[in-house]
Amino acid sequence: MRISKLSLVVLALVIGASTVQAQTNNASITATAAVQTPINVVGAQQLNFGNVFPGVNKTVAATDLTNAGRFDVTGQASTPVTLSFTLPATLSSGANTMPIDTYTGISAATSAQTGGVAFNPVTGANPSLSGAGALFVWIGARVTPATNQAQGTYTANVTMTVVY
Amino acid sequence: MKTLTWLVIGLALLVATMPPVLAAQGKPLNVTGVRGITFGVVFPGVPRVVVRTDAANAGQFDIGYAKFSPIQITFTLPAAMSGPAGATMPLVFGANDGGYSSPETITSQVGFDPRVAFATALDKNGRAAVFIGGTAQPLTSQRAGNYTATITMTITVLP
Repeated sequence: MRISKLSLVVLALVIGASTVQAQTNNASITATAAVQTPINVVGAQQLNFGNVFPGVNKTVAATDLTNAGRFDVTGQASTPVTLSFTLPATLSSGANTMPIDTYTGISAATSAQTGGVAFNPVTGANPSLSGAGALFVWIGARVTPATNQAQGTYTANVTMTVVY
Repeated sequence: MKTLTWLVIGLALLVATMPPVLAAQGKPLNVTGVRGITFGVVFPGVPRVVVRTDAANAGQFDIGYAKFSPIQITFTLPAAMSGPAGATMPLVFGANDGGYSSPETITSQVGFDPRVAFATALDKNGRAAVFIGGTAQPLTSQRAGNYTATITMTITVLP
């Protein structure tokens, strides 16, 4: 038997054609990101002890919506945050100082303090922003004027830091 | 003779109909998406960079084929990620955001520009890993929410 020249040519052409086809394959991955709303904190209301008298301690409770200090926080809805505070030990009026202590705190989702949760500002708190991305924080404390406390207006700064 | 001729023609036709990837090398070209790029939490106006050497967040593909095969790597790179209510966030890739690793380890890469074709060759193991990083660029007005994008890598075996 002889293999015809035609069949050999056909075989050669077909094999040759099958080896020059490009081989390609691909795969995909996903890039992901979660954009969060930045945290915004506002000192909304001062902690106001009003008139105090030498030797007479005065306390403002965190539940006192009128006189307690208040911070308003906005950010990513329903997201837990960490609150920490810098709490002064004294109020100052020029060279005179007056002790302040016994800090108290309450956090709530509304400015009416509905469902408020008490916490110790010394150790901080870990509440969550509301579904609207809001949080209200109240601070109370006690001042202890000395019996010979000098007359004057005493002030100090209370600082709250909020992080996700 | 005629019978043998027909047998030869039939064999040639059979060879021609075999899948090219098997017909040429006897081994399939495997390309796998192993891990996506994770930018995580980002804030409006603050770019977030993931480098290709970031073991936790960089994207990774794996390649498997015949050893010593010359290959070309090309990417389809999105210009933006898609988010809530039709929002988009720009996604940028730089000249050093691609990494090719014959030992398949993130700590040993040859950097390349994923925006252009990259030619190389598989080693004696016939395997390699490709890593990719990028930069998410949220706008200052970027809408909050989850964003995603698809990155495709194509491998072509060169002649």
